Amino acid sequence: MSISTQITPETSSSVLSEVDYGSPIHNRITGWYIREARLLDHRLLDEWQTCLAEDLVYKAPVRLTRRVQGFDTEFGAVGHFDDDHASITARVKRLTGTKSAWSEDPASRTRRFVTNISVWETDTPDEYEVSSYLLLTRNRADARDYKQLSAERNDRLRWDGERFLLARRTILLDQVVLGMPNLAIFL
Amino acid sequence: MRINRRSTFLADPVSDLIDTENREVSVAALYDPDLYELELERIFAKAWLMLGHESEIPNVGDYVVRLMGEDQVIVARAADGEVHVSLNVCPHRAMHVCIADSGNARVHKCIYHGWAFRPDGSFIGAPIEKEKMHGEIKSKEQLGLKKARVKVYGGLIFATWNHEGPALEEFLGDMKFYYDMLFCRTDNGLEVLGPPQRLTIDANWKTAGEQSACDGFHTLTLHQSLLEGGAMAGEENTEHESAPAMYGVNVSGNGHSLRCIPADTSWALMAGKTHAGMTDDERLELMPPPGITRDLLPQVRKNLTADQLHVFAKAPPVVGGMFPNVNLLFIYSPLRDGTLGSAMVMHTINPKGPEQFEWVTYFFAEKDTPEDVKAMMRAAAAQGTGTSGVIEQDDSDTWPHMSEASRGVIGRTETLKYQAILGENRPDDWPDKAKVYSGFSKDDAQWNWWLAYRDLMLAEA
Repeated sequence: MSISTQITPETSSSVLSEVDYGSPIHNRITGWYIREARLLDHRLLDEWQTCLAEDLVYKAPVRLTRRVQGFDTEFGAVGHFDDDHASITARVKRLTGTKSAWSEDPASRTRRFVTNISVWETDTPDEYEVSSYLLLTRNRADARDYKQLSAERNDRLRWDGERFLLARRTILLDQVVLGMPNLAIFL
Repeated sequence: MRINRRSTFLADPVSDLIDTENREVSVAALYDPDLYELELERIFAKAWLMLGHESEIPNVGDYVVRLMGEDQVIVARAADGEVHVSLNVCPHRAMHVCIADSGNARVHKCIYHGWAFRPDGSFIGAPIEKEKMHGEIKSKEQLGLKKARVKVYGGLIFATWNHEGPALEEFLGDMKFYYDMLFCRTDNGLEVLGPPQRLTIDANWKTAGEQSACDGFHTLTLHQSLLEGGAMAGEENTEHESAPAMYGVNVSGNGHSLRCIPADTSWALMAGKTHAGMTDDERLELMPPPGITRDLLPQVRKNLTADQLHVFAKAPPVVGGMFPNVNLLFIYSPLRDGTLGSAMVMHTINPKGPEQFEWVTYFFAEKDTPEDVKAMMRAAAAQGTGTSGVIEQDDSDTWPHMSEASRGVIGRTETLKYQAILGENRPDDWPDKAKVYSGFSKDDAQWNWWLAYRDLMLAEA
């Protein structure tokens, strides 16, 4: 399976150590996630894009209901997202640079609640594996109810000397059949 | 069924919803819960439905659970190597026999009381054989899972509950000539690139159903964002001329339809050059149809007839659907490496009540496509179509509005209008297959979809 679903990083954990909760690195990374959620919820997509590394891999594999609850067999090769930096850039440009991206015009009102952030050091200096939980609420037009989505995101963050950049994101959705009609938003 | 009570004051509710003289469909057709029940019986329990692709279940015992209307079915490869489709309802106490959506099992054992079935649906037995827990009134042969009639065509798995009805070939009719060009053109055929995407859209299934029947017109407005930049750009009053899908050849039969986009248009768009004066062979070589690489062309030439090759060279089918609930796109798409490639997807539109449907997206490539290209095609398809696709996310935004409009008692009195008529006009060199509408994309094929709907709904249940 080509999809990375690891809860802990692929390389053996003896090489990689988990960063303590509350440590300066953990705090800084937690802050990055709070700011990222705020940028996306406020639809500051151009600014969000500056947080993405050029070699970004951004995926959300489809999920399956299996008899044997092996976490790593529940994800398919097809993605709800199957993106890289160029395609994310094109998506952002469509949303911010055209007057007819109807799926988000009028825009959704979203809240991204990010919790359960775990951070690991990696073999590459200044790169961290980060796992977080995401609860997203999405409301549009005069709908009374919310479309909701929960997921685990397994990311690679890179410190470029000035700021963290998102180099990889694998979004593990909890729904096999999505309850919202599209993902015209970013997770 | 409430419609029986209503029929006391509405003599012929189905006929009343579709005005064949003026080519209008009542918006109430998107709302009526009684009509919906009737659709499940007369369309989804009668028509041939596409349930997936045999490459999803290559080995004996492999299965996927799919929907025929609101009925779950087990699509499994049995010991005989054939694909079988069985109702996922235990004949004992109506429990779902399969509780996962895919897997491999030589025996499907109901978790409730343990009745066991083979992948072909036949009953093996109930636990405690000596106590005869399935009784003695019915034989084991009578206690298998309810079997649907199955036909695999071009690797696609079709099934129907109508055991006495037309064969799939007859159901597809003349349109098979065109579908062959998509599904039966290479030696090893298509394969899926993974399990399908599934999502929920709060709209009546027919909103997406009728659109699949060659609604080229909506491209200009709904998909405007794709025309606002790049190769498809144009001035407001001329953009329809350069938009890639506005002029073409719509073909339609038995409610099925496909839009064939002139290769000249695609080639001019991609290369800024003309095809004029080229032979069919030269055109195919210059720009193989979506999904086909030059390496595969010898196979295509072998598997298709001269007439099919001519259509392929002149205007390959790229979007469309199959009545009642399949939508497909076999389109050109830039790939990650900068080359011009393709994205190939098929959707099924599965009803989930009058105001909801499940939108399923299958991703395809020719089996003989190099693996690295398949990965790029899969990405291109996900970026263009399905859940996050920049084309289709705008469609999924539209259909719920139509359903919401149908909730209003006044909104319900409005009609969907199919009055932009091109009329049949087959180009001289076009094969005499199905109804052919050449020119600006108009409502002809979509109206034919409704006529097929009407025929089935009015047929004796």
